[in-house]
Amino acid sequence: MEAFDALMQGFAQALQPTTLLWGFIGCFVGTLVGVLPGIGPALTIALLLPLTYHVPATSMFVMFAGIYYGAAYGGSTTSILLNTPGESSAMVTALEGSKMARRGRAGPALATAAIGSFVAGTIGTLALTFVAPWVVEAALAFGPAEYFSLMVLALVAVSSVLGDSVLRGGIALGLGLLFGLVGIDLQSGQPRFTFGQAELLDGIEVTVAVVGLFAVGEALYLAWQGRESRSPEVMKVTGRLWLSASDWARSWKAWIRGALFGFPIGAMPAGGAELPTLLSYYTERKLSRHPEEFGHGAIEGVAGPEAANNASAAGVLMPLLTLGIPTSATAAIMLSAFEGYGIQTGPALFTQESGLVWTLIASLYVGNVILLILNLPLIGLWVRLLKIPPPWLYAGIIVISTAGVYGAGNSVFNVALLFAFGMLGFAMRRFGFPAAPLIVGLILAPMAEQSMRQALVISQGQWSTFATRPISGTLLTIAMILLVAPPLWRRWRGRAG
Amino acid sequence: MTPTRLAWALLALVALAAWQVTVIPSSTLQTAVGATLVPALVVGALAALTVGYAASSLRDRQHDEACDPAKAPLPGAQRRMAWLLGGGLAFMLTVRPLGFVLAGTLCGFGVARAFDAPPDWRTLALCVGIALAFWGLFAVVLGVGLGPALAWPF
Repeated sequence: MEAFDALMQGFAQALQPTTLLWGFIGCFVGTLVGVLPGIGPALTIALLLPLTYHVPATSMFVMFAGIYYGAAYGGSTTSILLNTPGESSAMVTALEGSKMARRGRAGPALATAAIGSFVAGTIGTLALTFVAPWVVEAALAFGPAEYFSLMVLALVAVSSVLGDSVLRGGIALGLGLLFGLVGIDLQSGQPRFTFGQAELLDGIEVTVAVVGLFAVGEALYLAWQGRESRSPEVMKVTGRLWLSASDWARSWKAWIRGALFGFPIGAMPAGGAELPTLLSYYTERKLSRHPEEFGHGAIEGVAGPEAANNASAAGVLMPLLTLGIPTSATAAIMLSAFEGYGIQTGPALFTQESGLVWTLIASLYVGNVILLILNLPLIGLWVRLLKIPPPWLYAGIIVISTAGVYGAGNSVFNVALLFAFGMLGFAMRRFGFPAAPLIVGLILAPMAEQSMRQALVISQGQWSTFATRPISGTLLTIAMILLVAPPLWRRWRGRAG
Repeated sequence: MTPTRLAWALLALVALAAWQVTVIPSSTLQTAVGATLVPALVVGALAALTVGYAASSLRDRQHDEACDPAKAPLPGAQRRMAWLLGGGLAFMLTVRPLGFVLAGTLCGFGVARAFDAPPDWRTLALCVGIALAFWGLFAVVLGVGLGPALAWPF
């Protein structure tokens, strides 16, 4: 009941014209970046971080949430009409969605994706509303040792479960931690990894690293491949942009099942959106009365995974808001934005910044409605955007990225760092290193070190405190299992196969 | 570049990082964990993982998209990448003396050339348009300090 009252207050704030306008801008920009290849929500939010000095926190986070949700909506358009998923989580949508479009059913494919995203986004936000206070209550028992262990678990999960190699995930994480430690040590005041450069004393800007890895790195990768020089073939939106009675009957259960996969998995460290979308796809294929249509354009194969994708976006916000733990690159950037405002995330957020949190959650409900209204009527605009020739699209992305980084401090050094991270991003993409562990490591490294030191001060230097405190010990055990289990599983499967 | 060469580059980075750990000044504060411990642990772990990666790449067990026919680059990959990085370099060299719009134009031109845009006036004009539009958006609308649109070095 307390959560309900707080949510109503959140709605009162979220429905204020100014907040609504920021939410609308966020949803529009989010859908735009979801539709356009080569630019995602993490990059967009990172580019907008310099604005945190000019805009009130509530408005900014409402916009960021709109971008995050909007990108999940927009990704389906690219998958269906272009057969090119903008995000890895939209890969499954491309499987069936593009086939539907080829059979002249692009309209129903886009409609089931949009309505499914709305349904699942709402279910995910409802779950966030009522589950988050429980998590906060549990997290109040956490001390520095538990936080350190939780961060270790998040880091291990992001690097070992995501991607197909623990070794490459571990190296990406190690690089992230290394970059996160650059700068003045907050406790002792000693400079670390600065090579005597004054520009590095404040550490590496998250914006520079993220924009470099995602924007410059992606552009370098695509330029290297040389397959993006011409405008892609965009399939025509034919047929009614709505669902028939049969489409409704085949979609609604898939939406709900997708949401039930998406939210809990999205809320787990390293759960992400890929796993629930895949699970949803295979479940729908198994349960469908038309299994023969799978692979040729089955509507359930779009409805379920799209719903799972959106519900997982709400799920990712839960550990971020309740524990202050980012489980994806976008969540890591949002955490960095909270830091920019001097706001402490974690359970304290719900007590100290309760207005902000509940406005943010209420704005997710409002955002879902805005996105439903935006998505289908503006499909013509999104299709036109997909036809932008790649040279202009990527010239625009790199110039805006450079402007964003240069504008944050008028530092040419940071622009050089941006392109250095771009080269790193290219190498990581080419050689199969996941980017998320690097970003999460970069942001969590100083926080984890701080928690570790606090825990050791409290325990008077006893390292055993991390193992002997029940919650901390359990979290470390889970982290250990996650580290060891995937390679053992692969080896076992290799022998069995 | 191959996975083995990447492993060598990573090992060089680890060696640099290890050297930096050794030059972290010791603190006069009495703390349970000093400024060196965590960096040393991270560098140690990274070194171990990189050695593992190097060993694995020597046995040809590491992934490289250049070896995948569906993802391998078309001819001219180095030239395209050089255009893109050259655009970035041009931005860094010119943004202070010439202002954001000219620097952004050069950067955009480099990127457009990297995606095989023709080196003509139309490409240049579009890049001027992109740089001007983003200068307007950031500097005028959002109030982000990008410096003057155009500057004169003399």
